[in-house]
Amino acid sequence: MSRTLILKKDHLLPLLRKLHKTHGLVAPVCNEYGDTIFSEIHDLDATAIDMENQPQASIKSFFFPQTETLCSYIVDMESGTGNMEYSFHPLLPENSPTVFFGVRSCDMFAVMYCDMVFLHENPKDIYYEQHRDNSIFISIGCNKPFTNCFCNATRTGPFLDAGYDLQLTDLGDRWFVETGRPRGIKLTEDWASFFTQATEADKRAQFQAELEARGLFNRLVHVDLAIKLLQESHVPDRIIEELSERCQDCGGCAYICPTCTCFNIADLKLSSDSGERIRSWDACTFEGFTRMAGNHNPIHVEKQRIRKRFLHKLQHDVEKHGRTSCVGCGRCVGMCFGGVDIIRFVDMLTAAGENGPGGQQ
Amino acid sequence: MHGRILVPRVADRNVYLPKRAIVQNIVEQNELVRTLHIAFEDEIYNKDFVYQSGQFMMLSMPHCGEAPISFSSSPSRPGSFSLSVRKVGKLTNAVFDLRPGDMVGVRGPYGKPFPMDDLTGCNLIFTAGGIGMAPLRSVIEFCIDNRENYGDITVLYGCKSPGDFCFREELQSWDKAGLIKIHFTVDEACEEWNGCVGLVTSLLDRLEIQDDRTKALVCGPGVMIRFVFERFIAMGLPKSEIITTLERHMKCGVGICGNCHYEEKMICTDGPVFIGSELSNLETL
Repeated sequence: MSRTLILKKDHLLPLLRKLHKTHGLVAPVCNEYGDTIFSEIHDLDATAIDMENQPQASIKSFFFPQTETLCSYIVDMESGTGNMEYSFHPLLPENSPTVFFGVRSCDMFAVMYCDMVFLHENPKDIYYEQHRDNSIFISIGCNKPFTNCFCNATRTGPFLDAGYDLQLTDLGDRWFVETGRPRGIKLTEDWASFFTQATEADKRAQFQAELEARGLFNRLVHVDLAIKLLQESHVPDRIIEELSERCQDCGGCAYICPTCTCFNIADLKLSSDSGERIRSWDACTFEGFTRMAGNHNPIHVEKQRIRKRFLHKLQHDVEKHGRTSCVGCGRCVGMCFGGVDIIRFVDMLTAAGENGPGGQQ
Repeated sequence: MHGRILVPRVADRNVYLPKRAIVQNIVEQNELVRTLHIAFEDEIYNKDFVYQSGQFMMLSMPHCGEAPISFSSSPSRPGSFSLSVRKVGKLTNAVFDLRPGDMVGVRGPYGKPFPMDDLTGCNLIFTAGGIGMAPLRSVIEFCIDNRENYGDITVLYGCKSPGDFCFREELQSWDKAGLIKIHFTVDEACEEWNGCVGLVTSLLDRLEIQDDRTKALVCGPGVMIRFVFERFIAMGLPKSEIITTLERHMKCGVGICGNCHYEEKMICTDGPVFIGSELSNLETL
């Protein structure tokens, strides 16, 4: 049963300090270059948590690192039998309990999506599972969406109904706290002295804050219309071609995207008789992503490289899971210097849709 | 299928960890294709190992990573399995340096197999191009081992040149024994070839679809699959009776990494075997 509580603002740090004794702590921190990034905090008193700015990346890399060794291997070319011997030794990541604090709704939703990709398939991905197990998520609803946010259109924010352990809402002098998953409930029970029951007035204030937030979006993005158009007819070739030509093949959109989970697996030779098998982030926009041995590529890269990216999020995942996997964080808008972001795609698609199927702008 | 229930240890749950296997025998199909006969090092695991025609294994070679390779052997011949490999890239080049007794890494079996139950009682037409014969050979051998369950078996096999055929003598011996009917063709005429010349679709001109108990199995380059589909459809065989197996660049083999996408599908878990009616866009095969 979900509970609603109040945490005084000056009780937050002491609570995090308590949790930090038994858990790792990850939160948005502004670094010396002025970049806000989710970082592991070692000394809470010497580190300022930044709750004002949107973290540049999501928390994806904590569960699905940019590069990760899956196993090491040893090759013995001249074993006792005179034949090649070849063996593999798994390197599983440590499983350490961690509190993720200050996770925004979009990023929280993205964790649920990644769980589905890595944990709900049969078989499970045990590397992801090792990183992901024993995580506690304290999310923050967004009273004031950031410049490129459109989570209202993807229904992944600015506040969530589920998925988090605790969700905080800023009510000025106090945090309104909602419990979600069992770990959040347990946390409020274990540290009950930090919390008080929320009053009816607190609940109204939270409702008001959420309502106001919904009116503060800077961007109007017709995600539902785009989904409908993709269901009804093919995306016009010229949109795919124009955006594919503008794409500079940097992969930044996939790396920054909280729900891009594609990866490569390759061997890193360390010596003639040993090496490591490494998994690393990949991007469907890369030419090599679909290129087979012998250089045959089923994707016409120049004209179609961005096709999978947008259709995966706005059509294929809708067909498979009943909803888009774009979480509306807007990060690809800030990332892409070619203007090949998902808002641009939705805008072009819906503009073409207004002029009829395959219509001209 | 097997009675024992195995409690998986963490290592067994690690889908990315290959198992050690020994190359027992290597058969040279032609200059560019070799068939590896492989058995797991762990004899108990090897004894319990089951797979189905149309599935594939991820084959590891030292310093080369992994590649998906279809079974070319039939599951009706347990004890070992075979993977037929065409020399086309870094990993498959390394395969050509292997000697019998060498060890490789394998994990699998993965993917959706051919719907063997649906083929029972049917006349079967196999159409293969080049190395595309490898996964179909697995089905053909299975059918031969259960010959009474199938009607006429016709195999149409096209290659660029006579030197590109795989399993040629074996296919001919099955033909001679009256088990199958085989027709070969090469793309271009040359001195050492006195058989049929033309694309594999030209072999289809000689065929007639006689009844509604006919199924076609097709494997080869994407463009070949497309033209064979079109020809079968023109001959009156509906897409739902045409089965194919596709290939893509793959990394995980279990539906996570995303590399093998084809429209909304993943070739590794939704395929690699597809019924024609499941394929929306033949242009991008």
